[in-house]
Amino acid sequence: MTTRILAQNIGKQFPGVRALHAVSLAVEPGEIHALLGENGAGKSTLGKIIAGVYAADAGQVLIDGAEMGTADEAAAGRLGIGIVHQEGSLVGQLSIAENVFAGRQPTGRFGRINRRAMAERTRALLAELGVTLDPSLKVAHLSPAQAQVVEIAKALSRDLKVLILDEPTAALTLNEAGRLFAVCRTLAARGVAIVYVSHRLAEIFALCHRVTVLKDGRVTGVRRVAETGQDELIRLMVGREVHFARDAGARAFGEVRLEARGIAAAPFVRGASFTVRAGEIVCLAGLVGAGRSEACEAVFGARPLDGGEVLVRGRRVRFGGPWDAMAAGIGMVPESRKDAGLFLGMDVASNVCAAVLGKVSPSGRVSAAAADALAARFVRDLRIATPSVRRPVGDLSGGNQQKVLLAKWLAMEPDVLIVDEPTRGVDVGARSEIYRLLRELAGRGMALLVVSSDLPEVLTLADRVVVMADGRTVGEIDGNAADEEGVLRLATRHTQVDAVPVLAPAA
Amino acid sequence: MKPRPVSNLALKETPAAGPAPGPSPVRAGALPRRVLLRLADSRPLMLFVLVVVLVAAMSAAYPNNFPTRFNIPAVLLNAAQNAILVTGMMLLMVAGGFDLSIGSTLALSGVWAGVVVGRWGWPAEAGLLVGLAVGAAAGLVNGLIVTRLGINALIATLATLTIYRGLTYLTAGTGVTPIGDAFKAYGQSTFLGLQMPFWVMLAVVALGAWALAETRFFRQYYFIGGNARAAKLSGIRVERLTLIGFVIMGLLAGLAGVLGASRLNSAVVSAGINVELSVITATVLGGASLKGGEGTVIGGVLGVLFIALVQNAMIINGIGIFWQNIIVGLVLLLGVSLDRFKQAHRG
Repeated sequence: MTTRILAQNIGKQFPGVRALHAVSLAVEPGEIHALLGENGAGKSTLGKIIAGVYAADAGQVLIDGAEMGTADEAAAGRLGIGIVHQEGSLVGQLSIAENVFAGRQPTGRFGRINRRAMAERTRALLAELGVTLDPSLKVAHLSPAQAQVVEIAKALSRDLKVLILDEPTAALTLNEAGRLFAVCRTLAARGVAIVYVSHRLAEIFALCHRVTVLKDGRVTGVRRVAETGQDELIRLMVGREVHFARDAGARAFGEVRLEARGIAAAPFVRGASFTVRAGEIVCLAGLVGAGRSEACEAVFGARPLDGGEVLVRGRRVRFGGPWDAMAAGIGMVPESRKDAGLFLGMDVASNVCAAVLGKVSPSGRVSAAAADALAARFVRDLRIATPSVRRPVGDLSGGNQQKVLLAKWLAMEPDVLIVDEPTRGVDVGARSEIYRLLRELAGRGMALLVVSSDLPEVLTLADRVVVMADGRTVGEIDGNAADEEGVLRLATRHTQVDAVPVLAPAA
Repeated sequence: MKPRPVSNLALKETPAAGPAPGPSPVRAGALPRRVLLRLADSRPLMLFVLVVVLVAAMSAAYPNNFPTRFNIPAVLLNAAQNAILVTGMMLLMVAGGFDLSIGSTLALSGVWAGVVVGRWGWPAEAGLLVGLAVGAAAGLVNGLIVTRLGINALIATLATLTIYRGLTYLTAGTGVTPIGDAFKAYGQSTFLGLQMPFWVMLAVVALGAWALAETRFFRQYYFIGGNARAAKLSGIRVERLTLIGFVIMGLLAGLAGVLGASRLNSAVVSAGINVELSVITATVLGGASLKGGEGTVIGGVLGVLFIALVQNAMIINGIGIFWQNIIVGLVLLLGVSLDRFKQAHRG
């Protein structure tokens, strides 16, 4: 049996950055092979070189022993290499079937598209993946999980030999991820070689056969998953062992700073109640789509409230917009850095000052010196790795961007800070720093409401876990008594039929 | 004319013209690259150099036609209208919006001022105020359509472009001529050899440049253009500010309209046709991007000045009017591709 993918001594340089140095990778048919590494380690780049998206500067890629040749995604596709991108490649305004057969639609006479054949073949492909979806549905109407399956169906629509999945679970719930794994196993059993790019260790242990670990563009180790452990992989990724231990010391909690009483914001939030006290970290746990982010937005005035009430320090408030919430001492770090959090084209100083323009312009005139000084303080305190406060935030790594986003809100000195997914897309090293920072803030008396889909994170941080399902708060667990099973049981038990993802496991 | 000489000239001229405060180059060989990067880095600086080069070249080549006390004031007067408009357009484009209806707003304002003064016999000052109010109202309507109905600025102002032009014809038919002696004084009186519209433009530009660069209130527009959703979640009142931006744009279009009517002592129904395109060209040339988040008023004004000088140079040269359009278009492409070059070679 020839090795399905044999990448030898791949080198790749981007302007200013050496992405890969002499990296090699071997994947057998039927193998699920993980590419593990922190953000910026080069794992996505390697995946894209194998898929023909990027051309390598050095080295070669052999598919079944034959050299792949020049970089060309279409040519790679004809060789049977499919890639599911992190950022997605679907066109929202077109139907599922047209997306699956993009550019290769079955045609009849005069090049006319045979829509019936296309729909039937799409339906068959989706069925293979264990999904029932109408092929004429527009992709824009799909959930992230459903869109992901369509991406895989698109790859599968050719004679698939190699499938590259780049952070496929980033937008998926636990259930959906489980079903994706089942699909992967089915494909592997048919002989497809799967390259699974991820930085989530748990997934690698659940799914993969072997793992290649990258750090700063070099391979630091290749292991059989059965013969390695979490600590070893983390060491290979970051060069040191990292533990996310719970904070043992008990903190004293103060007054109730923020309270939501039966708040509703159609259609996502249908009755959520919780309190956050000074010095306390309350985690909102639940499946993606449970309405946690939306509940936070409603509390923050960024989403109209249809019912219930919000109390700040025991007093009922009505916020016309985020500005009112901020005046009441509430800050919110939103979930998506790129879409809702940062001004990627603007520099670090502008981003840090975005929510506190008043502070750096006391008389109405903006003082660049004051802005730079404020930003420089946070760059120092949060150890943000940036050459200067005048560097565009878009140039920084994910972890440092997240720190800039936190700095923006810390600059406001809020009494209550809502943090939606504090460590999404953040590497292990920065993650532990962010945990330490959040604990420190709570220790200084800030009330923190943290939304997280990462259960280990919830269990690490929470003084109290509030679980939401289907738009409602369904239970609370003390942070010290909480375990993954207990939280998951609450999060899934109340789920109604219409909230169950359509994605079903392959038979 | 080919675009190539422009960059050659720029290289020779900058050491004298560029006030670059950056570290001085160590080796002589590093100079052109540094200068080029510095120029690419600042659109206003690049335009400034181009304007200086153009003025110097024209003065040398046509000492009897170009640097005269008739020609220079005429160029500045012609640029005054677009410089007023570019100030408002820059504000909108920094916030990621723009307004196509300014030409029609300008005509509507001028015509209303002409009607109330010339036909109804109101005092000249009342005419000016009515013109400004009409402009602001037109901007308010644009802003409400964009922020309240959620229709994008392109479609919304494309619609009001034709609506306001229609209203202009309805209001005044073939126009109002003459409007009145008291009214025309505002546009025709001179100070230091330059007509009033120039001085009004200077005040508007100075105030606009200062406000957009320095004040907290107007800095917020950069955040809106940078990322509107993030701006809203940062407590910036995106909708209200967008609305205010459109009102300011309308007000400035109204100002340009009444000044124009006063200068000609005539309310012309066809005034300002296609002016939106040349103003947006100048704004983009001056450093704005359609995505928003960048640009300065000074850049936009230099863009207007550059275009005005190119046109003037062509006329003096006796080169046909069609070439003006071609040159301006080429310079626009050159400026924007310089940005691409900068992005690709950063870091």
